[in-house]
Amino acid sequence: MLSQAELIDPQARTLTVRIKRYNPEVDEKPHWEEYKVEADGHDRVLDVIQKVKWEQDDTLSLRRSCAHGVCGSDAMRINGSNGLACKILVKNLRSDTLTLEPILGLPVLKDLIVDMKPFFDHYKSVMPFLVNDEQPPTAERLQSPAERARFDESTKCILCACCTTACPPFWGDRKYVGPAAIVNAHRFIFDSRDRGAAERLEILNDAEGVWRCRTVFNCTSACPRDIKVTQTISEVKRLLMTGNIDLDTAPSVVIGN
Amino acid sequence: MPQTPRAPHAYQSGTLARIVDGLRYGGGIGQWSWLAHRLSGLGILFFLIVHITDTFFVVFAPDWYDHTVAIYGGVWFDGHYYWPLRWAFRVAELGLIASVVFHAINGVGVILYDLWPKGSLYRKPILWTVQVAFWGIMLVTTPIVLYPLRKAPDQPAASRPAPPPAGVASVVPGR
Amino acid sequence: MTARSTGRRIRPSGGYELFMWYFMRLSGLALVFLAVGHLFIMHILNNVETINYAFVASRWTAPRTGWIWRLWDASLISLAVIHGFNGLRQVLYEYLSAGGRIVAGTVTWALTAVFIGAGGYSILMFQPDEGFIKEHPLKIERTTEISSASAPPASQPISVAR
Repeated sequence: MLSQAELIDPQARTLTVRIKRYNPEVDEKPHWEEYKVEADGHDRVLDVIQKVKWEQDDTLSLRRSCAHGVCGSDAMRINGSNGLACKILVKNLRSDTLTLEPILGLPVLKDLIVDMKPFFDHYKSVMPFLVNDEQPPTAERLQSPAERARFDESTKCILCACCTTACPPFWGDRKYVGPAAIVNAHRFIFDSRDRGAAERLEILNDAEGVWRCRTVFNCTSACPRDIKVTQTISEVKRLLMTGNIDLDTAPSVVIGN
Repeated sequence: MPQTPRAPHAYQSGTLARIVDGLRYGGGIGQWSWLAHRLSGLGILFFLIVHITDTFFVVFAPDWYDHTVAIYGGVWFDGHYYWPLRWAFRVAELGLIASVVFHAINGVGVILYDLWPKGSLYRKPILWTVQVAFWGIMLVTTPIVLYPLRKAPDQPAASRPAPPPAGVASVVPGR
Repeated sequence: MTARSTGRRIRPSGGYELFMWYFMRLSGLALVFLAVGHLFIMHILNNVETINYAFVASRWTAPRTGWIWRLWDASLISLAVIHGFNGLRQVLYEYLSAGGRIVAGTVTWALTAVFIGAGGYSILMFQPDEGFIKEHPLKIERTTEISSASAPPASQPISVAR
């Protein structure tokens, strides 16, 4: 229960919001604009942006849908790092300046909206669907809890592109499939019901596949779903080396994180 | 800037712009380690090329070799000693050692992430161990490498072009 | 750690990039000892300013330990050159398009061959020039295992860790 004092938020503050704006009909390249917003400590960054849009400048464009960290629409670069605007609270911001940019490495359509097509093309390239041509059983394809737990980590992905656009190798080489695609390949490769592992690994065993990964870990710290992205990529790398689809579940605790 | 609307087109930054923009990314110490690993690796490769080339002189031109390595001690091809040359090479030597030490320690970290099944779960401890080990080693190494700079070299004029007569040691007594 | 197997196995993939990735890690481990050891000997135990032709000759032609140093240096050079140029290739691949990559791959591998050749040649084919060593002897005072030409006459050199 929040007390009355907490409801009248003592952490309310005036934020200087710097937004990288781009108007595709007029601008040659993006430019910065500044807004002053009175924000409450319990406001989300998304609320701050909407205050700008609704009260100060309605030409500001952004993508957002559920606003609760499930749909993955409002991924953007917040104070330098990628994240979902709807999952970051104003009270957790370190300074009174809030810097907002579109995620880096995808074409900017307008303001904070990027063209997600290259990202989804990479996603599709790893066959993110169940492949199994065997005769289906009369009931569903059964799986033990351990087998299900094996790929639990990578089922959490919401395809927000926070990880892929946080990845320095992706900034350099946009043909790299990127962490998100590898996570989604991992989700099916380690699924005991799937039979398409060899084909997916063939795609990932390439200069544009897992070997582009330089273990920078920007993806892991950017993931709003706390997927241990680098760990899943490492698991695919080791699978490529050994050929053994093992059952060892990734430990659920990240040490020291 | 024209204010007339035109057919909208998406903005795509160039590779260089993305790399520069990426430097502002809040990847913290992990991203800086990646960058330092890459730059130190390229630096070491540059030194390696130079070093293989100068060592190649030993097989066909011993005097070239001695002239070349004498530059390191601040003796230019004209046989004169220039202290800024020596200082510059000492600092560069320190840079080389720092690069190799960092690349080695951080490289072991990368191997742990990739080959040890639980390695990437221990990212933070590994990152900090790399930092502590690197700065610890450099703290000890830096004074050792820079110590000879406290005074001029013992035999600045002992090098070419006037070689000492055979049998006379070029080591100045009372060192 | 032993992996509990699902019983499912796929053929290990192999391939160029996988092989080079694995090579980078294995050679990296070896180079930690070879390169850091080399630096420690040359920059900490020795002063680089005292290194000259006579020093190189005494090191590589020492009667009992010479072959160890030659082997050390030859493996250091081969592994470091491949490791270094493959690293350069990876960096270039990251920033180049398909056509540039073919050029980058060819050039880096050609340079790899050139520098392993040059380095290996100088290490393995080295023959000391005794006359030159007499004229320009060692700059270091401490006793080391010196090849006969530059050693003080009639005194048996004492071996010291170098």
